[in-house]
Amino acid sequence: MRTLRLHRTFAAIALALVSASCAPGPGTPAGSRTIAIITPSHDNPFFKAEADAAAARAKELGYEVLVNAHDDDALKQDQLVDVAIARRVAAIVLDNAGADASVAAIRKARDAGIPSFLIDREINVTGVAAAQIVANNFQGATLGAEEFVRLMGERGDYIELVGRESDTNAGIRSQGFHDVIDRYPDMRMVGRQSANWSQTEAFQKMETLIQANRGIKGVIAGNDTMALGAMAALKAAGLGRVIVVGFDGSPDALDSIRAGEMKATVLQPAAALAHAAVDQAHQFITTGSAGQPEKQSIDCELVVPANVDHFGIFARK
Amino acid sequence: MSTDVSTRSPGGSAARLLLRLRAVVALVVLSCVFAMLSPEFLTAGNMTILVKHVAINAILAIGMTFVILSGGIDLSVGSIAGLAGMIAGALLTQGVTVASWDVVVYPHASLAIVVALVAGMLLGAMNGLLVARLRVAPFIATLGVLYIARGAALLLSGGATYPNLGGRDDLGNTGFTWMGSGVIAGLPVPIWIMAGLTVVAIGVAGRTPFGRHVYAVGGNERAALLAGVPVRRVTVRVYVISGFCAALVGLLIAAQLGAAHPATGETFELNAIAAVVLGGTSLMGGRGSIVGTLIGAFVIGVLADGLVLLGVSEFWQLIVKGLVIVLAVILDQFQRRS
Repeated sequence: MRTLRLHRTFAAIALALVSASCAPGPGTPAGSRTIAIITPSHDNPFFKAEADAAAARAKELGYEVLVNAHDDDALKQDQLVDVAIARRVAAIVLDNAGADASVAAIRKARDAGIPSFLIDREINVTGVAAAQIVANNFQGATLGAEEFVRLMGERGDYIELVGRESDTNAGIRSQGFHDVIDRYPDMRMVGRQSANWSQTEAFQKMETLIQANRGIKGVIAGNDTMALGAMAALKAAGLGRVIVVGFDGSPDALDSIRAGEMKATVLQPAAALAHAAVDQAHQFITTGSAGQPEKQSIDCELVVPANVDHFGIFARK
Repeated sequence: MSTDVSTRSPGGSAARLLLRLRAVVALVVLSCVFAMLSPEFLTAGNMTILVKHVAINAILAIGMTFVILSGGIDLSVGSIAGLAGMIAGALLTQGVTVASWDVVVYPHASLAIVVALVAGMLLGAMNGLLVARLRVAPFIATLGVLYIARGAALLLSGGATYPNLGGRDDLGNTGFTWMGSGVIAGLPVPIWIMAGLTVVAIGVAGRTPFGRHVYAVGGNERAALLAGVPVRRVTVRVYVISGFCAALVGLLIAAQLGAAHPATGETFELNAIAAVVLGGTSLMGGRGSIVGTLIGAFVIGVLADGLVLLGVSEFWQLIVKGLVIVLAVILDQFQRRS
């Protein structure tokens, strides 16, 4: 009996708390001045920069922000979208957790009257999101590959480190690399491994790959964390002069280029993507239309020792 | 501990021996296969790299062996490794701000290492106290600490990486990266650390009262208690050992990369548990050995590096690893029935 009563008390308290937190404040059109910003984990500086830039611009425009990370888990993303719907946010800025796995969540938000502005990654359908604003990964990869080929003198053995193979951008970047590199018959790929975007994994796999290929002249990596892991392994093996080219333009990679280690990277304009999304969300909220086509892409920029000082945190200074 | 010593059937002894040595057999077979397929596999250079990679998992798995021998499990090791690297990273690159004097103090690299190791041991003690005093199931207690430690690692830097852990001469805090990339007598430092730890762990497990107590607690906790074994103290200590090993691994990784990343060590606990199980330690506790664990870690390491050397796709690497683990456990069942 006693436990039953206790349970009831707890239930009553819980109910009271829940209803209190859900009740719209007096006089405000509940939550309509809030923008939800959902991205992958902030332990990757790119996503953190993207979320920070979006939050800063939204606050500038007078919005409250609700910042969350889905850790590339489509289920968690779905739950975060549910929360955003429950909070009746005005718009969602989303770097999604999968081109197919995210469609249902975005459609659910749209059906609840909340537009989604996708950044960085596309989804495989159109007409569901209000906008899809991505960095042009293919164009960026060809930029990086052209510089890589130039640094290599159009010949020599190289290794490619690929991102997580289930991730669309890993494939697009690899395609962009090969679109350029494969035109040069003297460029020979002697190893290709996925290091799942991870620095630790890239370090270990590079150490092993070096054993079979001590004569390599270059390493091209699908992102900067893998490039930095490879660089550390090459340095430890006394091969610090091997040409390493990355992708992303992360602050750590810029430091490495400044220090004369990595030779180049391709900067993805994270801040520009985030600003564009928030600006279009603002326009949508105020006028009912984003005023732009759904699919938009922003070009990447090549960062080399000569121009590295012109760049800051995922943006031109 | 096991019954197979007393049951002697003449015909089955060779087969039983093979079963008992299955991890060694697996290691030899795998090494032969890779040596045949890849001319670089057996070179001194590749072997050194391979052992260095094994060290990461082996050190975690040695700590894990004590926990599993005592009948517990420690899911928090990967997160503790991540946090330890971040603590060292913060101390080396940010220093400690003394608010009252408004100065930043940069501790010596060795002090940063000690602080990170102590933090790992404290988290281990927290695991141990939750299990021994508050009677929380080890799976749950260490799962909780897994999340707490990961959250703390992310909070420390706001999710960012601490780069350039080499230290600066003008601050007098250089030397940290030696732990990961230094070389003594031709072998990388992590290998020496693994070797030293292995020797100590074999001694502790086999030749000290504490070691016998760990086996006793894992074999039958109630009987151990009645026999006067300080069960609670033993339980807390195995988790402290595991926390120490985890922190050590976190430091080694940060030192190798010259950078500390808060997500370091995700799912490492599973690799460590796999090494322990491959090495023939029973997940029920009370039966197993440090040497077995070391061999288990080598099996996993040889697989991982060998498949990379052959250029096998990441997806197949996962499948092969899974098959080897399942096969090992099936063999374990045979051994216990025989």
